[in-house]
Amino acid sequence: MRRAKVVIIGSGISGLFTAYSLLRRGIKDIVIIEKGYLGSGSTGRCASGIRASFTSREHIVLMRHSIKLWIKYSSSDLGKYGLYYDQGGYVWIASKDETLKMFNELIKLHNSLGVPTRIIDNSELKQKVPSITTKNIVGAMFDPMAGKSSPFDTVHALYNFLKNAKVKIMLYTEVKRIVGNEPNVVGVETTDKFVEADVVVITAGSESYNLLKRLGVNVPIKNMPRHALITEAYREIFKPLVIDWDTPGVPYIVQTKDGGFYIARDIEEEPELSLYSQRIDFMAKAVKPLVRFFPWLRNIRVLRYWIGYYVTTPDHHPIYGPVPGYENLYIATGFSGHGYMMGPVTGEVIAEWIIYGKPSIHEAKRLTLDRFRKGELIRETAIVG
Amino acid sequence: MGKEVRKQPIIICRCRDVTLEDVEKVLNEGIEDIESLKRILGIGMGPCQGRTCIPLLISILSRRLKKSPEELLIPKVRAPIVPLPISLLLKSNEAREGGDYEKS
Repeated sequence: MRRAKVVIIGSGISGLFTAYSLLRRGIKDIVIIEKGYLGSGSTGRCASGIRASFTSREHIVLMRHSIKLWIKYSSSDLGKYGLYYDQGGYVWIASKDETLKMFNELIKLHNSLGVPTRIIDNSELKQKVPSITTKNIVGAMFDPMAGKSSPFDTVHALYNFLKNAKVKIMLYTEVKRIVGNEPNVVGVETTDKFVEADVVVITAGSESYNLLKRLGVNVPIKNMPRHALITEAYREIFKPLVIDWDTPGVPYIVQTKDGGFYIARDIEEEPELSLYSQRIDFMAKAVKPLVRFFPWLRNIRVLRYWIGYYVTTPDHHPIYGPVPGYENLYIATGFSGHGYMMGPVTGEVIAEWIIYGKPSIHEAKRLTLDRFRKGELIRETAIVG
Repeated sequence: MGKEVRKQPIIICRCRDVTLEDVEKVLNEGIEDIESLKRILGIGMGPCQGRTCIPLLISILSRRLKKSPEELLIPKVRAPIVPLPISLLLKSNEAREGGDYEKS
């Protein structure tokens, strides 16, 4: 048997940053248990985009804070281990005039909450995205605060930092169940041992559902499959993440640090589709609309295609904080596609829930699992589309 | 003689210029599974999709961990099997049927 102050289930971005934030507040005796490899759930499959330009107050405020932390961490201890934030911005291109009007409404909301989005014309768009063909474009919304980083570099940096701070990370070890009865859990049972803990944190993405189901707690999350592809690597062609807003399925393209173009688009899809299903039709559907704006894409090759899950809640906002009925069990999941970018703020919110009994960011207090039972879902301030 | 050889970098992954030293550095951090090594180093993520480097990596790991190559988990193979030109994808039925962007 082992003992730990805090056991964290899952070594994705949320679990690793939770350990990091606990450590920074002086909690040392932490064990992270991961059933696969580092970042093997949604973290390693994500697009790596980071932005605060959302449509609800909760998302905007939390992500503004998260971006501050991305910048701070990249120039501090984690930066030395390879974490970085490349603030190249986001560009939403519009093909219709009414889309620009809608962007203007969004910009009012963003600006009122401190996110400096603005409309740019085609000549400025060409400066930011030099190789773009603007024939079908009437203008764009630009978010200079947004950016990208590398999920692999981030996870690797956190791993090394935590390991050097004596956090125990058990890879390829599955938690079979969380042990305890209301109002306290006492630890977790893995395939071959029991780990006793004062506090248990569930950051297991979609697996959080099964872990809590065994305790009789329902977590309203669904796995929504999302598809992505990556091309061969080229020198840096453009910095921002570019979103084709007016095409159904909202295709987008971003060049990774390694030079490959990461391309995604929503296609018609069933929830809970296996991660290893073959939807090779996705490749053609994703690239076709983008070739209008980037004709040179025709000449490059697709290397790889894969599926990842948006672990999605009914109101598309994360579940943060204590599990109802328990005094020492916490959860962070259901990011609905935004878990990677929220990683740094997730760590802070969960660490504060554990240590101070509430998060310092007011907007995070409303994101508990309790809200679904009470019917207090988060509302979008601006409805987009 | 080994030392003589090591004066020049030994390339394990030719697509992404990953050397034996790079691999050993990550192994010494305690990361010893192929899925993690692939993502951290980019090994097997270039145009050859691991055809050259993954067997070399398996051989290194097999000796280091004293496990037979069969015991090591091999990374998942992703489609497409060979890099596909986008111009070719655009000629496919899928591009004609589902790539429509005029409707909204």
